[in-house]
Amino acid sequence: MKASSFRKLKAALLCSLVVAFGYTVSGSVADAAQAQPSKAPAKKEAPAPKIDPNDPASLIYLDTAGKPAGVGGNAAAPASQAFKVGMGWHPQALAATGLPKDKYGLVDWAKLVRENIIKPKHSLDPEEEEMPPLKMDVLIPAKGTFVNDVIYPHEMHTYWLKCEVCHPQIFVPAKGSNPMTMVGIVQGEWCGRCHGKIAFPLTDCNRCHSAPKKAAAK
Amino acid sequence: MNKKLLALVLVLAVPAFAGAAQYGKMTLDSKIESMKKAGVGPVIYPHDKHELLFKCNECHPKVFKEKRGLNDMSMKMNMDGKFCGSENCHNSPNAFPLYICTNCHTNVGVKK
Repeated sequence: MKASSFRKLKAALLCSLVVAFGYTVSGSVADAAQAQPSKAPAKKEAPAPKIDPNDPASLIYLDTAGKPAGVGGNAAAPASQAFKVGMGWHPQALAATGLPKDKYGLVDWAKLVRENIIKPKHSLDPEEEEMPPLKMDVLIPAKGTFVNDVIYPHEMHTYWLKCEVCHPQIFVPAKGSNPMTMVGIVQGEWCGRCHGKIAFPLTDCNRCHSAPKKAAAK
Repeated sequence: MNKKLLALVLVLAVPAFAGAAQYGKMTLDSKIESMKKAGVGPVIYPHDKHELLFKCNECHPKVFKEKRGLNDMSMKMNMDGKFCGSENCHNSPNAFPLYICTNCHTNVGVKK
């Protein structure tokens, strides 16, 4: 009984040794075969193309499906919808513009305006009069004793949006008549209609809660 | 021999488990007046859940002093990157963010 089991064990060991040996031999051969052709394309990839968004030749245009279609400056390339309209942006090209980013890596649209980096037209209709931004900061006291109060800047919001976007459906335009809570905002009411969706996220507490309370300042 | 081993295990393990169990769930309500104004209840801090994820010295004593009442925590402190809102904690992508009130505070939105 003992002798037979020992024999079985021996056979199993031998088998595994053969398999292991075969694997190493064939593996090293296959590796060698793969290694040689892989060296050549690696050298070609090394000089990464630099994208300069101000140079029309380096713009990559996208079609309506978001795929690259046509290259600026190359008449032979197929023109995308964006190319026909005038401009198309590639994510890589957008990254190369050096637009200011917040600490989460999202484009800081407020900083863009403050530093005059972009000057968008107020309307497609040239005869429409532009309403100047409303310079009115609203202090919204935080309910707790310790959390900083919120300073709401009308100026930045009215630069991008019309009054009717928020008033009177989302915010009643009278101080103290909007029972805002952070719980409601997190659930998509009040500021949460935009912030956390298209505007900077709610994780950035101190960007809104910016006015220290006297009790907390101690 | 076996009895001695059992005794040794008991001597070593029982105080360790008892020490950890002592802090299973901690109620943080030193700022209860402010919490009432803000419409939230006390925080039930799950020490046991954090024990499973971190070693003691990752939080103690750098972030939290190891004595009840010595850590003057407030939401402002958390928002300024201290205590729960420390770097790599609830002010970072590693953990849920500070604005999800209901994850820590009880009775959120309940009127006084």
